[in-house]
Amino acid sequence: MDSEDDMHDADDLDSLDDQFYSGYAALGSDDGDEYDFVDNVSDGAEESTSHRQQQNYTILSDADIRLRQEEDISRISTVLSILRSEACILLRHYNWSVSRVHDEWFANEDHVRKVVGLLENSSEMQRTRELTCGICFENYPRDRMTSAACGHPFCHTCWRGYISTSISDGPGCLMLRCPDPSCGAAVGQDMIDLLATHEDKEKYSRYLLRSYIEDNRKTKWCPAPGCEFAVEYIIGSGSFDVCCNCSYGFCWNCTEEAHRPVDCDTVAKWILKNSAESENMNWILANSKPCPKCKRPIEKNQGCMHITCTPPCKFEFCWLCLGSWSEHGERTGGFYACNRYDAAKQEGAYDESERRREMAKNSLERYTHYYERWATNQSSRQKALSDLHSMQNEKFLLFQLEKLSDQQSQPESQLKFIIEAWLQIVECRRVLKWTYAYGFYLPEHEHAKRQFFEYLQGEAESGLERLHQCAEKELQIYLDAQIPMNDFNDFRTKLAGLTSVTRNYFENLVRALETGLKDVGSSNNQATCSKSSSSKSLGSKAKGGKSKATGNSSKSAGPSRSMDDSNLWSCDHCTYANPKSTRTCQMCEHHR
Amino acid sequence: MQASRARLFKEYKEVQREKGVDPDIQLICDDSNIFKWTALIKGPSETPYEGGVFQLAFAIPEQYPLLPPQVRFLTKIFHPNVHFKTGEICLDILKNAWSPAWTLQSVCRAIIALMSHPEPDSPLNCDSGNLLRSGDVRGYRSMARMYTKLAAMPKKGAESSHTL
Ligand SMILES: [Zn+2]
Ligand SMILES: [Zn+2]
Ligand SMILES: [Zn+2]
Ligand SMILES: [Zn+2]
Ligand SMILES: [Zn+2]
Ligand SMILES: [Zn+2]
Ligand SMILES: [Zn+2]
Ligand SMILES: [Zn+2]
Repeated sequence: MDSEDDMHDADDLDSLDDQFYSGYAALGSDDGDEYDFVDNVSDGAEESTSHRQQQNYTILSDADIRLRQEEDISRISTVLSILRSEACILLRHYNWSVSRVHDEWFANEDHVRKVVGLLENSSEMQRTRELTCGICFENYPRDRMTSAACGHPFCHTCWRGYISTSISDGPGCLMLRCPDPSCGAAVGQDMIDLLATHEDKEKYSRYLLRSYIEDNRKTKWCPAPGCEFAVEYIIGSGSFDVCCNCSYGFCWNCTEEAHRPVDCDTVAKWILKNSAESENMNWILANSKPCPKCKRPIEKNQGCMHITCTPPCKFEFCWLCLGSWSEHGERTGGFYACNRYDAAKQEGAYDESERRREMAKNSLERYTHYYERWATNQSSRQKALSDLHSMQNEKFLLFQLEKLSDQQSQPESQLKFIIEAWLQIVECRRVLKWTYAYGFYLPEHEHAKRQFFEYLQGEAESGLERLHQCAEKELQIYLDAQIPMNDFNDFRTKLAGLTSVTRNYFENLVRALETGLKDVGSSNNQATCSKSSSSKSLGSKAKGGKSKATGNSSKSAGPSRSMDDSNLWSCDHCTYANPKSTRTCQMCEHHR
Repeated sequence: MQASRARLFKEYKEVQREKGVDPDIQLICDDSNIFKWTALIKGPSETPYEGGVFQLAFAIPEQYPLLPPQVRFLTKIFHPNVHFKTGEICLDILKNAWSPAWTLQSVCRAIIALMSHPEPDSPLNCDSGNLLRSGDVRGYRSMARMYTKLAAMPKKGAESSHTL
């Protein structure tokens, strides 16, 4: 119907390009020299900026909205030589599209006038000394009566009541007509301002402002509670993610919280699923779990998943899978597998709450797995967000600044890297959270895709863990103690490097998932089944890692991460997953 | 309250003055309450309601005429836009299309027009609406006719005061 920009194609997603691989290679780099990638940081940073889309939306404040509305009204009023209030009625009728009003008006002015109730020749009220009000049927002197352009006279009391009834009925008051049922002449803001009570005038102008945002297909209100900003979006410009000035990020299309790389339908399904299962899931949201070693309840009060039990136990474990932390991530170079749902591991071997055992249904178990990880990342994100806020708001950084500049004359800008790291953590937790909804709906039978997805997700999880740990725990060391300048510079290099690499990785991850992992063979069941022996080493490693946890098993994980189900080959030297089309490793130039 | 009372009083005087001008409508104000009215309307000719006399009850809100009166049939009537049990009427001018310039008299005229031109697409009486929508005009007419005879025709000797 109303469509000046419907011709745009909403689908202009970037293709999965080489940058994807450079991104995850950096995170998947060998242990030992894990800071190697820092050399490439400048490269990565440039790439990511050039990749960042030009912003396809504008945030509008209350003042901006009023200004724009006013400008549109005056433009129409000038061009069509009509009253301001008439221009306003026209624009509202055509959903505030200036070009639409132009087109319709110049195509058939008479028709437009008729439809909206703007009379070409206004009639005056009858020229008698007294007139009868069409509502109360009382007679009044002519000067105590008012009419719209049609000349139907009503007394001021009746007008006020008529307008007030309409306004209290809702935004329909913006389409008010003469009370005479046979008439249809429009009653605009000029008459409201002349006849209504102060309170009603205010309400009317609020409806008018709201209409400017709500009836215009290019604008929406920010859905954050209490936020009064609106967003103007360039329709057909690609990514729906917008970030309001209030810092709330949301999807312009479905107005849920920002959810790249998952599409709106999946989000809607997931939210529905969550509400259907909410009773079953409540216990999962509780912030305490028993320590897998000493069974004392441990509260998770930090953002990262690496939990250390209180003394004397001091057992270090992973909050997600309750496995020993020593088998996780960078320390062993092993495969980070607590993201992966493994139906077998649910049986027996785990000493988790009674509740979990009662969940006989596999489907519920499966959902629980994904939901728990989704929810944990969600709360991790909330925690990171509040950490960030307290860092920005409280005297924390000011104090730090003083301390540091006293100690080592660090200018303020030198500490920006800390804030940037935290912003990155918040964003990554959001993405990671949604990858669990993505995983839940990824078809079970697409083995290759699932494996590749779980690998990418695992790497994302462990990479983010490193960044989160560095920003949360290592930073604390510098805050607690007097550390020499050199050490602090090392810390900066490390944190800034981790931030950049993690950003790259996640940007590429988002792009890869949005394109549906199209580089991975999807439904080739024959091939994937025959590969299950080689890919089993992935699964069994993850399992073994939890129950037996020998150093050997994690070492053997190196070659086993080869993604040879798909069109990737894994480098023997650095384990980087290269496209099949290449002969030499893109990372270390080792030959195949 | 005062405004609605004044306006209803004007309508009352108008009704007294115009008595008999419209032979199809007889509006009667409750003796003790100006916010309660009844009306007797004649079924329009060339409809299955012809020859019937239908009684309407008006309950008038304090904000009248800014808000519409509530009107329902007291006489049983088989019509797609009238609830068969309660007599409730589905008519736009009694809802969102109400204008304070309407009067009780003009509401009666609109209801008579509705009897001549049923709107089967917004039925309150589904049986009746379905008959019309499925094209069974004869079925609808004979049902409507039957109920008119049963409920709206003055019975010999009784209720003669209600004849117009
Ligand atoms: Zn009046
Ligand atoms: Zn008029
Ligand atoms: Zn906002
Ligand atoms: Zn969405
Ligand atoms: Zn413990
Ligand atoms: Zn951690
Ligand atoms: Zn784990
Ligand atoms: Zn290599």
